[in-house]
Amino acid sequence: MSGVLSRYDHGEFYCEIMGQSGTPPLEYTAAIRERLATLDLEALQRRAEDAERELYNLGITFTVYSEKDAIDRILPFDVIPRVLTRDDWAHLEAGVIQRVTAINLFLADVYGPQHALKDGIIPAELVLGNSNYQPAMIGLKVAHGAYANICGIDVVRNEAGKFMVLEDNARTPSGVSYVLENRNMMLRAFPDLTTDISIRPVDNYGPKLQEAMVEIAPADVADPQVVLLSPGTYNSAYFEHIFLAREMGVPLVEGRDLVVENDRVYMKTTGGLERVHTIYRRLNDDFLDPEVFRPESTLGVPGLMRAVRAGNVALANSVGTGVADDKAVYAYMPRLIKYYMSEEPILDNVLTHICREPDALAYTLDHLAELVVKPVAESGGYGITVGPKASKEELEVCRANLLKDPNNYISQPTIKLSVCPTLVEGEVEPRHVDLRPFAITGKSTWVLPGGLTRVALRRGSLVVNSSQGGGSKDTWVLG
Amino acid sequence: MIRYQARHNTVYDYGEPVTLAHHLAHLRPRDSDRQKLLRHELRVDPEPTTWNERIDGFDNPIVQFAVQEPHHRLIVESLIEIELEPFEVPEAAAYPAWDALRARLDEGGPDTVEAYAFRQDSTLIEVDDAFAAYAAPDFSPGRPVVEALLAFNARINGEFAFDPQATTVTTPPREVLRVKRGVCQDFAHLMIACLRSIGLPARYVSGYLRTTPPPGRPRLVGADQSHAWVAVWIGPDRWLELDPTNDCVPSLDHITVAHGRDYDDVAPLRGIIVGGGPHRLQVGVDVVPLKNWAEKKV
Repeated sequence: MSGVLSRYDHGEFYCEIMGQSGTPPLEYTAAIRERLATLDLEALQRRAEDAERELYNLGITFTVYSEKDAIDRILPFDVIPRVLTRDDWAHLEAGVIQRVTAINLFLADVYGPQHALKDGIIPAELVLGNSNYQPAMIGLKVAHGAYANICGIDVVRNEAGKFMVLEDNARTPSGVSYVLENRNMMLRAFPDLTTDISIRPVDNYGPKLQEAMVEIAPADVADPQVVLLSPGTYNSAYFEHIFLAREMGVPLVEGRDLVVENDRVYMKTTGGLERVHTIYRRLNDDFLDPEVFRPESTLGVPGLMRAVRAGNVALANSVGTGVADDKAVYAYMPRLIKYYMSEEPILDNVLTHICREPDALAYTLDHLAELVVKPVAESGGYGITVGPKASKEELEVCRANLLKDPNNYISQPTIKLSVCPTLVEGEVEPRHVDLRPFAITGKSTWVLPGGLTRVALRRGSLVVNSSQGGGSKDTWVLG
Repeated sequence: MIRYQARHNTVYDYGEPVTLAHHLAHLRPRDSDRQKLLRHELRVDPEPTTWNERIDGFDNPIVQFAVQEPHHRLIVESLIEIELEPFEVPEAAAYPAWDALRARLDEGGPDTVEAYAFRQDSTLIEVDDAFAAYAAPDFSPGRPVVEALLAFNARINGEFAFDPQATTVTTPPREVLRVKRGVCQDFAHLMIACLRSIGLPARYVSGYLRTTPPPGRPRLVGADQSHAWVAVWIGPDRWLELDPTNDCVPSLDHITVAHGRDYDDVAPLRGIIVGGGPHRLQVGVDVVPLKNWAEKKV
């Protein structure tokens, strides 16, 4: 083989373009491989740099919390796409819909009759003692039982090519704007790679989201007003808030732009107050309404929960969805799917040791150097210890934390994540990837074809999280 | 059995006019095994423009109201008539050891679900080894839970001094443990922190004490304001109330208003106001036995 893949070797890992180690290259990627073969590395590199500059000029950036000096930074775009077949996608889509359905049934249960807790399907303490559990939601009904209207389900693939769920994101998942922008970039900068290949489009995400927001609006409203509520410019995903408001064709507001009167939410406009019916909020629960949550919050809207309770406004996502995507609750999700839906899970979890269980803790302490240890209440890749990559000191800190507060941790085996050829410093090398499909739920659940493929740019790194300096790729679902 | 009339007055005086106020009141007493609400009236001046009564996530009755006319003063008056049944301290022998109870909670089951919201961190209370260490002397392995709890209640009462100057509403339990001083809310939070830290579920109870004791009995501490104490889970559907401020088990002298994970869940009045400037708050509570109630009933 010539061209950019000529020296590429994915070793023991499953490759999204080549397939399983030691087998002939995947048939369905033949077209893209042939096209990559016609390019030389230097040309590809130059065009990639042009594309990256364009991204920066468009302002597509992501604030990285761990790098204190960096206010914004680009989530680097890698030009070599990740490809999924129609069958792969049908399987993933069905699995994601099933998972999101179970998440919503679980939320309706824990803020309602609590059957799963009483039947011992999941430890009641994990749910009721969880810092993301919101008593303010008890007994409150939401339209269509859809609590988590926007969900991101993180999926990985092992060395045999099997898909598994790594994490659920049911609060305010971000990253979908990269999916849309990456596709734009691909079509514009690399027409030679995309022509005549049938790729499922992604540009209907905004209208689909808007449609769901209308479906969950108070029932008696003919033409509901939807807004996107952002915490403002200091939020790491602010550019995404602007982007999505534009894609949906709705106003982008901050807390100070909204006011609650007579348990109704209004937007301050130059023409006076205008009623708001659905709020796609990208603000965490704690900051939403100082009357109910953190009294010192200036980002939220005083009285918002009164309006929600009165049925005068819908929130997407609902308050308190964080209890469903907690990493400890995640471990029980396959059992919850069986319990609520009487179905076998279509997508398995990654094997998870729940350190609150003494055997699991003992196993974790004995195998610390082989496992990934994660705190359960955090999100965004913070506080994770990757055993095989950790120093002796890091492992000792992790051990001490585990012994001090075992309930706060889970551990998982390190998975040989699949790789994808990635352009790094003038070479094409295998880099680990994951996939975050996005599901939108109003009356029913719809999944954006593909999703965000994140890539760990550091050699051997398994952390693909965008707050940890990963990059992203265009994800193709073949039609 | 005894019947009380209670009055809880709250007056806010604002330095500048308040143009809009939303308040959430935990002022209507909840019913329980040992009390039954006979009558409740909540008067607010100025007249609220909205008024919503509902039940919160911990089954407490709450009222949300808004005042939309400009005001320099807000008066909230809660009038209560309530009937109390005496509470007998349970036979220690009838209950398991505290550590057996904890083991049962760790294991879980349909009849322990009610306890778990009260065994973890909450807004104002964080579980910590320092609290577990403080509680340890009274919780030796195998000690019956009621016996251990009564001993612990007495020890907090003996080792902590009632001192309204020492703390504020935001003083964390850790600081209370250090200075060994505070008021009823501090002692309740401290006790809850200690119990949760050794794995026992405990909730915060807000309420009132009778103002003047029956003849021959001392006046209880905290009798002319809102009071706070603790309820500990000692088995399915069984909570033992403890008042560390007075080293007693609440019975005919304690009227329960609400319970939650800590003060933040059940603050009598919690509001968001527009305007107001500096303000002064006065709170008064009176609890007197209802005279001649037997005759009244006829």
